[in-house]
Amino acid sequence: MESFAFAPAYELPVWPFTTPPELGRTETVRHPIVIVGAGPSGLTLACDLAQRGIRAVLLDEDDTVGVRGASSRGICYAQKSLEIFERLGIYERIAAKGITWSFGRTFSGEQEVYSFNLQAESVSRQPPFINLQQFYVEWFLVERILELGLTDLRWKSRVTGIEPLSDGVRIGIETPAGRYTIEADRLIDATGANSPIRTQLGIEAHASRSTDRWCISDVRFKKPLPVERWTWVDAPFNEGRGVWQHLMADGVWRIDYQMPEDCDTARISQPEVAGARLREQLGPGVEFEFVWIGPYGYRDHLLDSFRHGRVFFIGDAAHVVSPFGARGGNSGIQDAANLGWKLALVAQGQADDALLDSYDAERQPAAKQNLEVTSRSARFLAPRSPAEHTLRRAVVALAARHPFARALVNTGRMSVANDYPPTPQLPDGGRTVQNLPLRWADGRETTLMRLLAEGTQCLGLWLAPTRAEAKTAMDATASLPLRLLAIGGDSGLPALQADETLMRHLGLHDAGSFVLVRPDAYRAATLAHATPDAIAAALRTALALDHHAP
Amino acid sequence: MITDPRIPDPDGFYAALLAAHEDLSETHSADLNARLVLLLANQCGDQAVLLACIRAAAEDPTTTATP
Repeated sequence: MESFAFAPAYELPVWPFTTPPELGRTETVRHPIVIVGAGPSGLTLACDLAQRGIRAVLLDEDDTVGVRGASSRGICYAQKSLEIFERLGIYERIAAKGITWSFGRTFSGEQEVYSFNLQAESVSRQPPFINLQQFYVEWFLVERILELGLTDLRWKSRVTGIEPLSDGVRIGIETPAGRYTIEADRLIDATGANSPIRTQLGIEAHASRSTDRWCISDVRFKKPLPVERWTWVDAPFNEGRGVWQHLMADGVWRIDYQMPEDCDTARISQPEVAGARLREQLGPGVEFEFVWIGPYGYRDHLLDSFRHGRVFFIGDAAHVVSPFGARGGNSGIQDAANLGWKLALVAQGQADDALLDSYDAERQPAAKQNLEVTSRSARFLAPRSPAEHTLRRAVVALAARHPFARALVNTGRMSVANDYPPTPQLPDGGRTVQNLPLRWADGRETTLMRLLAEGTQCLGLWLAPTRAEAKTAMDATASLPLRLLAIGGDSGLPALQADETLMRHLGLHDAGSFVLVRPDAYRAATLAHATPDAIAAALRTALALDHHAP
Repeated sequence: MITDPRIPDPDGFYAALLAAHEDLSETHSADLNARLVLLLANQCGDQAVLLACIRAAAEDPTTTATP
């Protein structure tokens, strides 16, 4: 039997535990914001807050990034996440280290039955996707957080229990130097799928587990393959079951094999067994070495509400979906970006607690949608009855000949920035605005993310207002977090050049039309004929400020 | 969902449908029907009508087990 080699393990960074000032003190110290869990969502939130000049305490039970073996877990970072990382200052590192892609192909047997090119829909500076091992993203975030210097990052600090108070949360923490207690005005649970905080509070997560089994092989080999997402509904080299093939950093391919439902997970992940599968796929004579092998079965859960009093749930603590379409990690990163600016405005006294309710109103439906979308993919990939097998055979057979059926082939619908339903803060719903390349009137280049990276304010983009309107609007919104910019015209406001892509993406047509963009790059309002009063009202609505206040 | 008769030659259509199934095993017949459903669904192309048809088909008392 052929034997297979493993690459040397990654050397991950380790950060030191330092004894916190509260340890050994009798009085309990209160912090405005405490985040628990330094995974992608917790780190993104801490970094987002720090970028806005807001301090937070971040607790993590470990002192490094990634988990045992380092290489498994999330690999695909979607455009919205990449735009957030651009705003936080780590995009360039991610782009340099990761693999940029936009093209996906799906095969049945030897035949291609479906393909997509996500670049076609994009007007962003960031590509549709970059693949990168999750621990690199976490690593870059930690380094950026340390560079910003506002986050109290406490490693080797395990939360042993929390106690909700009327005006905050009491948190018990265990460290190598002993136990201590702190309080928080607000606590953000980013502890992941097995959240002990959620369990302790007895919050129903509506969890379910799939019987579908998969085995990941992360592997390096020397065989030139296109940098595309390839999936097989039924691969001839995997006994007619599904396969995923995707490149990430350091020349490591993630190949994910669907296994029989009743398989022995220990056996199928043995190097000889995994190696034989890979040999079947790559053919003879291709050298390869394993980086990681791991079996998994996916699960899902979704909280009914992402806010419980002073406790907020983000990322996997709030929702878990099957991996098809990369909607897990990306959704957690977007949770963090949704909550970050709201916490910042509340911390700065520019918005009330009511604004924080909109986090749940927007992100819970987004997670619900992701759960529906990924569950449909999972069901296509693992039919549950003879009738489902029959229907899938029909789809695949027709897809080979007729374009209409290709749309039914579902090996995962890639992560998007979910639209938000209409809510009190978003009367017309919310829609992402991509990171448009922009140009100031004098020709200097900028981007939407660069404009949003400065402070915490909404952007008002106003097509050619008059000087009088601009002046009145500036006065009407002087006390509010708004940066008012003109597109074209001669209004005296700082002005961007009018550009067809920009206007089309924002849905601006006539002079005087206006778009309000939130700090998380979601469109909060569109005004066909903006007046200064209407702009101020739209802003107050978006920020959940009292309309009747003077 | 249209339930008034629209097929110009009902007997001819039915005969063609039976002919397509002739000599097929149960599995192959099921496959053919599934392909046919998908092709026809795309001819219809109206989400509300498709959902109404699925409901109407599922309601058939001869194929629905009573709870």
